[in-house]
Amino acid sequence: MAAPLVLVVLAAVTVRAALYRSSLAVFIAERVEVASPLNAWKRVVEGLALLDLGVSPYSGAIFHETPLIIYLFHFLIEYAELVFMITDVLTAVALYLAIQDFNKVVFKKQKLLIELDKYAPDVAELIQTPMEMHYIPLKVAVFYLLNPYTVMSCVAKSTCAINNSVIAFFILATIKGSAFLSAVFLALATYQSLYPLTLFAPALLYLLQRQFIPIKLKSKSFWLYTMQYASLYLCSLVVIICLSFFLLNSWDFIPSVYGFILSVPDLTPNIGLFWYFFAEMFEHFSLFFVCVFQVNVFFYTIPLAIKLKEHPVFFMFVQLAIISIFKSYPTVGDVALYMAFLPVWSHLYRFLRNIFILSCVLIFCSFLFPVLWHLWIYAGSANSNFYYAITLTFNIGQILLISDYFYAFLRREYYLTHGLHLTRQDGTEAMLVLK
Amino acid sequence: FQDQAEQFFRSGHTNNWAVLVCTSRFWFNYRHVANTLSVYRSVKRLGIPDSHIVLMLADDMACNPRNPKPATVFSHKNMELNVYGDDVEVDYRSYEVTVENFLRVLTGRIPPSTPRSKRLLSDDRSNILIYMTGHGGNGFLKFQDSEEITNVELADAFEQMWQKRRYNELLFIIDTCQGASMYERFYSPNIMALASSQVGEDSLSHQPDLGIGVHLMDRYTFYVLEFLEEIHPASQTNMNDLFQVCPKSLCVSTPGHRTDLFQRDPQNVLITDFFGSVRKVEITAETLSLDRHVPGLESKFPEEEMATEPLKYAEQLPVAQIIHQKPKQKDWHPPGGFILGLWALIIMVFFKTYGIKHMKHVF
Repeated sequence: MAAPLVLVVLAAVTVRAALYRSSLAVFIAERVEVASPLNAWKRVVEGLALLDLGVSPYSGAIFHETPLIIYLFHFLIEYAELVFMITDVLTAVALYLAIQDFNKVVFKKQKLLIELDKYAPDVAELIQTPMEMHYIPLKVAVFYLLNPYTVMSCVAKSTCAINNSVIAFFILATIKGSAFLSAVFLALATYQSLYPLTLFAPALLYLLQRQFIPIKLKSKSFWLYTMQYASLYLCSLVVIICLSFFLLNSWDFIPSVYGFILSVPDLTPNIGLFWYFFAEMFEHFSLFFVCVFQVNVFFYTIPLAIKLKEHPVFFMFVQLAIISIFKSYPTVGDVALYMAFLPVWSHLYRFLRNIFILSCVLIFCSFLFPVLWHLWIYAGSANSNFYYAITLTFNIGQILLISDYFYAFLRREYYLTHGLHLTRQDGTEAMLVLK
Repeated sequence: FQDQAEQFFRSGHTNNWAVLVCTSRFWFNYRHVANTLSVYRSVKRLGIPDSHIVLMLADDMACNPRNPKPATVFSHKNMELNVYGDDVEVDYRSYEVTVENFLRVLTGRIPPSTPRSKRLLSDDRSNILIYMTGHGGNGFLKFQDSEEITNVELADAFEQMWQKRRYNELLFIIDTCQGASMYERFYSPNIMALASSQVGEDSLSHQPDLGIGVHLMDRYTFYVLEFLEEIHPASQTNMNDLFQVCPKSLCVSTPGHRTDLFQRDPQNVLITDFFGSVRKVEITAETLSLDRHVPGLESKFPEEEMATEPLKYAEQLPVAQIIHQKPKQKDWHPPGGFILGLWALIIMVFFKTYGIKHMKHVF
C-alpha cells in the first residue's frame, strides 16, 4: 500500500506547489474562511517581526499563537511553504497508519463477536469484509490531502495544518495503544487550541477497551487506569506550559492564547457561529453568552461517552466534528480534518438518509461564502446577514451530516444485534426510528 | 479733524455679505421659509447681490405639493407680498442644509469642489448679516428635525471667522423660540446680535392664512420686514431703531439684543451697513493720465531662451542597493534553557516510547 500512498502524496504536493506559485495564493491567504485570527500566517509573521524588534509579540492583540509555534517558525520562516506541505503529508501519513491499525482492530472485534454469536443470523451483508476495508486508509489519506479545504488551508499557510497534524498524531498514538504518547500529543493539541481537551474521553475509552478493562464506575482498575492517563496528560500539559514560559520569560501567552480563545474578543466574520451573535449583543449579556457558547462545545462529551462507550473511535470522530463546528474561530482546515474520516464509515452509506442534500448544501455554501463576502464588503449591496445566513446554513449542514452518520451508525449496530428484518410483536415489518 | 473722527465712527467695511438660513422642513413650517425669504428680499433690494448672499432653505414651500398657490411664498395673509419672486437663488437647498454645511460656510473650510455660489468669500473688510430661523430651544437650534447646532458651536465658529479675518463686523439675527440663548456665548469682537425672544419665552407666529392653511410668518420677522420696507439705500436709520422693532405688545415675546462685543455705538451703526450694500464713493479732483509707454519699466523677458540645466532631484533612496541586500540577521534567539529543555523532553519521549535499548544504537 505504500506505492499508491506515495503517488497520492506526490500529487498533493504538486497541487500545493502549483498553487503557491500562482496568483491565487494571495487571494486565498486573505479569505476569512481559511485564516482566522488564531491561525493566520500574517499574524505569525507579524509576531516574529515584533520579536525581532525586541517587543513581546503578545503585547498587542495581533498574535495568538503559542510559544512553541514561535520557536518552530523562528528557524523555519523562510521555508514556510515546505513546512506546511510536510505537515500536511505527515498528517495524511499519520491518518493512514492510524486507520490501517483501526481496521485491524475492527476486524478482530468483528470476528470475536461473530464467534461469540452476538450477531443476529441474517446480518451477513452488514459485516465488513477485509476486501472492502483494504482501500479505506488510502481513501482517508486522499480525502485529507486532496480535499479543497485542506489545499486552501495549506496555501494560505494557516497554522491550522499544524493543529491537524498534532491531532492526527494523537489519534495514531491512541489507536496504536500507547497511552504515554497519546497523552503527550493530546497535551500538545490542547496546548495549541483549547478544545481537544474533549478528545480525552474517547481516547480514554479506546485505551480502556484495548486493555480489556471494563468500563464500570465501581471497577477499581477502571479508576486506576483513568487516573494514570489523566495524570500523564495533565503532567505533560503542565510541563509544556512551563517550558513555554521559559521561551519569553513571561506568562503573557496565557491570556493571549487561552483568554483569546475563551473570551472571543475578535469578531471578524468566519464560518463559525460566534461572531454575528456577539457583534450585536449588549455588553451586559456578553459574558453570559460567551459561557453558554463555550460550554456548548464541551457539553456533548458526557452524553456521547455514555452512548458510544463501545465505539470510541466513532466517538472521537463525532467529537472532532463538534469541535470544528462549535469552536470559537473555526476555519475550513478544521472541517477538513473530520471529513478525512468519512471513508472509514463508508459502510454506513445504506443507512444515511440525507446525504445527497447535505453534500449539496455543503458544496453550495462553500461556493457562496466568497460570493456573499464580495457582495457585502466590496459591492455593498448585501449586508452581514447574508454572510451569516450562509454560515448558519453551512453549520446546519455540518451538524445534520454528523447526526446523520450518528443515526446510521447506531442503526447498523442495532441491526447487527437484532437482525436486519425487524418485526414487531404482531409479525409485521417494523421501522427503526431515532428518538 | 472732525472728518477724521467721524470716519472713525463710520464702519470700515468695503463689502457686504448675507447668510440666511432656514432650518426647518415640512409644510407646517412654511413661516420659517417665508421669514428667510423676506429678509432675502430686503437684503437684495437694498443692494446685496446674489453672489454675496448664501441662502439656505431646508424645504421647498413654493413648489410644495400642498401649496395651493404654487410658485409663491406669501408673507402676509392678504397675499400682499410674494417674497418668492422670479429671481430667488437658493444656494443650499433641502437636505444640503445641515449643521456641517452651515459651519463650513461660515468658517470657509469647504471642499475645493464647492461652487462659488455656495461659498462665503468674505474678507476682513466684510460686514456679514447672519439670519437664522427655525425651531430652537435653550442653547440650541434644530436643523431639519435630525440634528442641532448649539450656541457654543456657533460662538466657536464666529471665533474661527474672527481669527481667520473673515469679517469686519457681524450682525446676527435669530428668530426662534428662546433665541437669546443662541447669542449668550459669543466672545468674538465686533458681533452684534438680535433675537426674537428671551430664554424661557417662545417666539410666536403671526396670523395664519386660511387659504393656504398655515401660519405665514413669525411675528418678529414680520415686524422687521415692515420696518425694512421703509429702508432705502440712502437711509440713515440706525440700529437703535431696529432694537425697538416689535415691542412686547406686538410680539408677545421680548426681543433681545446684545451689543457689548461691538466696538461702535449702535447709534452710529446704519441699517444699511448690514442690510444693504452701500458703496463708499470718494470724489477726487485729481486727474491721472494713462500713457502707452510708462517710463521706468523695462522689458522683463530675455530676447532668446537660454538652455536650461537638466532638472536634478534630491537624493533618493538607493533602491538598487536595497533590493539586493541580504536579509538582516535576526536579533532574537530563543533562550538556551528553552531549547535544552525542549529537546531533552523530546528525546525522553522518544526513548520512553521505543525503549532504552535503542540508545546503544544511537551512541
